[in-house]
Amino acid sequence: MSTLLTGGCQCGAVRYALDQQPFNVHVCHCRMCQKAVGGPFAVICPVLKSAFRVTRGTISYFHSSDIARRGFCAACGTPLLFDYPHVEDIGVLVGTLDEPDRAPPENQYGNESRVAWFSGLLDVPGERPTYADNPDMLHRISSTNHQHPDHDTATWPQK
Amino acid sequence: MERYAMEVSGGCQCGAVRYHATEMFDNAHVCHCRMCQKAVGNIFITLVAAPREAITWTRGTPTRFRSSEHVDRGFCSACGTPLFYEDVTGNRVNFTIGSLDHPELFPPHVNDGNESRVPWYDSLPTLPHGGTTGSGDDDNAAWATAIRASNNQHPDHDTETWP
Repeated sequence: MSTLLTGGCQCGAVRYALDQQPFNVHVCHCRMCQKAVGGPFAVICPVLKSAFRVTRGTISYFHSSDIARRGFCAACGTPLLFDYPHVEDIGVLVGTLDEPDRAPPENQYGNESRVAWFSGLLDVPGERPTYADNPDMLHRISSTNHQHPDHDTATWPQK
Repeated sequence: MERYAMEVSGGCQCGAVRYHATEMFDNAHVCHCRMCQKAVGNIFITLVAAPREAITWTRGTPTRFRSSEHVDRGFCSACGTPLFYEDVTGNRVNFTIGSLDHPELFPPHVNDGNESRVPWYDSLPTLPHGGTTGSGDDDNAAWATAIRASNNQHPDHDTETWP
């Protein structure tokens, strides 16, 4: 197998590699996924467990029920995975991929909990980039950024 | 940014951390920036703030990751739920809308961090509908039943004791 996609948590303590393009990428609106990511939905990217490798650190798990667990980084909190331990695939959370662009969703589930304002998201105004009105703030953030870059690194944190 | 009186509660998935606010700001927003994406493992973060002095941490203590010089990302170290974005020099804490007990009450009014907006964002409202949790075949119904029967998620209201 060879690495096709990589990803990890915000602080870089956990990194992983995928040897397979995710299949049936989907939005899940269910209340459990909402809570796990602190948002209106999660975007889950299934791959076979045989195609998922942790390349740095250790993933922590919370058993959200007896049959499912949620993987996250205990150092920075980034939600990483949705996993049914008894099935052959594992769901990577799309925002943890180094290139989330490459896993567009094809479906949406858990629609009983879909927030009413989901359908209006595209009507929400605002096109500005980060701190376009406050270059000093942008500089303070970018010059002290503790986020791992969107590619693998030989050592982390970098010296 | 206006502040208004409102009783709001929320917390993490496992219930180890709970919060309450008596006032909110009208700043509900989406941030697509790459740092917010990573913090929540998603394509964007949705945030709404409460004034710092209007917040009570009613159970447990959030853990913090300092993503840059003066910004903390709060989360539950027991279950990982992202709970807030906080400029530690500012007057407010921005809660993740999904960690609130009633996220439906906080539609975002503006997008920020648009340099990192995923190119497939516009496809979201028109994705095919795969139904509700447990719908579909018998296998789906069986696992949904098994999840409900052993659900470890804190309910969407405050509790006297937990677990």
